[in-house]
Amino acid sequence: MAKPAFWQAAWAVAYKDLQIELRTRYALNAMALFAVTTAVMVSFRLGPLGLSRDPRSAATLAVLLWIAIFFAAMNGLSRTFVREEEAHTATLLRLNVPALAVYLGKLVVNLLILALLETLVTLLFLGLLNVTIAKVGLFLATLSLGGLALAGATTILATLVAKADGKGSLFTILAFPLVLPLLIIAVETTELALSGGTWASAGSGLQLLAAYTIAEHVAALWLFERVWEA
Amino acid sequence: MLATTFKWFTGIWLGMVAVAMFLWVPAHEGLGNVGRIVIMHVPTGWLTSVAFLFSAIYSWRYLRHGRARDDALALAAAELGLIFSVLATVTGAIFAKVVWGTYWNWDPRETAIAALMLIYAAYFALRTSIEDRQRQRYLGSIYALLAFVAVPFLIFVIPRVTDDTLHPNCAILNTPNCQGIELTENGRIIGTVEDFKVELLGIEQQADLTVATVSILSNGTNYTLKPSFNRASNKPETIERLPETLRDVQIKRLVGEPGNQMVEIAIANTGNIGLLTEQRTLLTFFASLFGFTLLFFWLWWLRADVLDINEQLLQQGITI
Repeated sequence: MAKPAFWQAAWAVAYKDLQIELRTRYALNAMALFAVTTAVMVSFRLGPLGLSRDPRSAATLAVLLWIAIFFAAMNGLSRTFVREEEAHTATLLRLNVPALAVYLGKLVVNLLILALLETLVTLLFLGLLNVTIAKVGLFLATLSLGGLALAGATTILATLVAKADGKGSLFTILAFPLVLPLLIIAVETTELALSGGTWASAGSGLQLLAAYTIAEHVAALWLFERVWEA
Repeated sequence: MLATTFKWFTGIWLGMVAVAMFLWVPAHEGLGNVGRIVIMHVPTGWLTSVAFLFSAIYSWRYLRHGRARDDALALAAAELGLIFSVLATVTGAIFAKVVWGTYWNWDPRETAIAALMLIYAAYFALRTSIEDRQRQRYLGSIYALLAFVAVPFLIFVIPRVTDDTLHPNCAILNTPNCQGIELTENGRIIGTVEDFKVELLGIEQQADLTVATVSILSNGTNYTLKPSFNRASNKPETIERLPETLRDVQIKRLVGEPGNQMVEIAIANTGNIGLLTEQRTLLTFFASLFGFTLLFFWLWWLRADVLDINEQLLQQGITI
């Protein structure tokens, strides 16, 4: 079993990154501005009254919601690793902290950032687009599982991108095919939650989402050390 | 010597397949000449998946043993996978336009191959963005493995995008057994068959014939058709062509008394014959599958050798 020092190290990495993030707010600002831009742009023409009257609005809104979440996340999630490489602190971290502890620390930070982002996007959509959520529980379950899955797939990609030279645009290109299954299910269950579908009808989607999340996290844990040491 | 024999054998074999495909194989009864495309389309589609599998296997071997040869094989497989996926997509789109009336409609297999192409594109984008060759191989292998974990989920997820597929096995092997949609006079009157929305507008009796009026939504247009069923012989009577496609609409089955009848509306390829039912077509198809597989392996090893030699030259400071 991992020693207490391992968990302390993981926590220290997460704490350090959170402090830096709160001090500079680089990732948070980039993501929040992207989310606001998207919501405002959609709202100009479609909301607050236009879209909610359309009978197919649940599908459209679910797609728009996940577009905002996905692309905003792509703006900020690679930041923690790119910063280590840019500031040349990665080597120091590699020498002092076990690779897995680094991964878990960064994962926690990314999960927190994603939770904040999803809250913001949801609030923006509620306010600017007059969205009514028929099944709040199902909606929250989809967002939480979707966030977990997104963090699982993208944290390791962020490590990878930090090692490559074309950092900015590459992250989205690499992430999109990998998170395509997640996006398809998340949009589907979100649509169900908005239009008042039952838990039973969303059950198989949520199960698939959970299976995908587990598979991505296992693959990431297995491969992370190799990427980090590369 | 062996390699030369292999090369000539593959070349002659595929040449024969190409000739047979156009001269020996008869045109498909119903679909006509476009039916021939299945001989090219299915092998290229199949090799796309094979290439993806090999790319993942050799990436994993590279991570385990660190041999440059394994990475060359993984990269070569990915390159071939991209070429074959483009070939499969183009041939498939031509067939889809003629038979189903549209080049692209997010049919499950179309979605799957689009995802594979995106993955290959991302893989090459990643590799070209890294200067250091060691690191290029390392990170490329890791991405190939990550993608390999995600792709199986597409197989479960994609059928959710559309209710059904235009690619059922019955379209290729045995259309008459394809399932239709069961619609009832007083019950369920709307349903989907593959990508078509079918609505039962009414049923009337004319002597031995039962005529159903159905409205079918195909590529954004509603068509009203009147297929009929002969109750005396218990067989479909009038089979209606769906406009701008090579698809036929028929009543496959009729159950119940007037006033409460159930009709099974089936939409099958024109002629209602599977693409590979004819014997020469089937034979040429398997010959093509074999030939393309040989071609794949020959190109794969050749490309990997070229990558190897290029690497050795680079290590000696020679660029070509």
